[in-house]
Amino acid sequence: MANATLHPDQIYIEGLANNNSAIIQSIYKKFVPKVIHYIRNNSGDEDKAQDVVQEIMILLFNQAKANKLQLTCPFDAYFFLLCKRKWLNEIKKSSNKGVTIDEDLPSINESTEEMVTETEVFEEKQQLFDLMFLKLGDKCQEVLKLSFTIKSMEEVAEKLNVTYGYVRKKKSLCVGQLTQWIQETNRFKSLKIT
Amino acid sequence: MNEERYIEFDHYIANELSAEEKITFEKQLSEDPEFASSFEIFKELNLHLENKFGNANELKAFKKNLKSISAAHFKTKKSKVVAFKPWQYAIAASVAVLVGLFVFQNINPSFDDYNNPEMATFIERGDANANLKLAQDAFNAKEYKTAIPYFEAVLKENKSPEIQYFYAISLLEENQFQKAETNLSALKSGTSVYKNKATWYLALSKLKQEDYKSSKEILLTIPDDYEDYDQVQQLLNALD
Repeated sequence: MANATLHPDQIYIEGLANNNSAIIQSIYKKFVPKVIHYIRNNSGDEDKAQDVVQEIMILLFNQAKANKLQLTCPFDAYFFLLCKRKWLNEIKKSSNKGVTIDEDLPSINESTEEMVTETEVFEEKQQLFDLMFLKLGDKCQEVLKLSFTIKSMEEVAEKLNVTYGYVRKKKSLCVGQLTQWIQETNRFKSLKIT
Repeated sequence: MNEERYIEFDHYIANELSAEEKITFEKQLSEDPEFASSFEIFKELNLHLENKFGNANELKAFKKNLKSISAAHFKTKKSKVVAFKPWQYAIAASVAVLVGLFVFQNINPSFDDYNNPEMATFIERGDANANLKLAQDAFNAKEYKTAIPYFEAVLKENKSPEIQYFYAISLLEENQFQKAETNLSALKSGTSVYKNKATWYLALSKLKQEDYKSSKEILLTIPDDYEDYDQVQQLLNALD
């Protein structure tokens, strides 16, 4: 990934990460109509399209903020494919009612496919991490939340009225607990998360 | 749970291991795949939590903004959707083509629509710096050609972003694009209060040269807290 050249459409990614309204508006103007059209022709409506688009935008924001989004393909194709796959997954989930899928498979460029997969893996990981986080005890959740919001562990210790040593150790062990659960899940699913 | 291991991970990330401990640690990373994969997950979790909690406020602001942009987009779209019968589409299409033929020539926005340079107010009395006063008066009287040499004289002595900004506008008004853009670009990459204004004028310079694509690209780099952002927005819409 490091040696692939960055596509000029990276401006859209940066714009999302910076919450730049003009960029967000131009994404709506240029790329969203195609998504709406697709979803309407495939058992959905405008409200559903609106939800799918928002979900994808939030996902891209998170991935960009984690510095893990280096676009190597045109934004147009990438964004459309992400929305489309999200929508298809959604109707699959609730597909006891009959759905019509208007499948036109335009030739998808390899690097677009790769970028989309990367984003989907990122989303899957995020969901798994968040799910595991909720399994932690209240104390762990609190320590982690404070540690990663405040950053200075001295301050965190003060706030929780415990020693620095205790809070440092607690933090390591709570992340350790998450690590262990995820490793077990990986083995279980034989899904390579890292 | 292997408590020692996770405490060591944390110390390694915080760069708190001694030189020897570090060597042992890195040796184990390269030799023990299970240890290495466990460390990778640990590291990734740290990044995830940093992102999740460290950017929580930014995410909240983003969601809010996204929601309002989305609502506006879908609302205007909906109001445009009127139930047409097929034959009405045909009429609408031919009308659109006709209208298109008439307005196509001047459908692009022009520099003059956006050309409202602010007043220069460097000095109140003329005794401080004669050239500066002359530049200011010529600029405000829109006699840019006269103003340019005065600005150049002032800039030789004192290169302030403010003077450079008004000088660049004068050059642009006189269609000296290359010189104007050099000055505007310098301001754009600087940190003065003229940074965003200069970027805006850089976009206008491209507009004046009818290079709509570059103009738009430059406009997209202006942050939305810029004081005249509604102008930016307006031009962006016109360019679309």
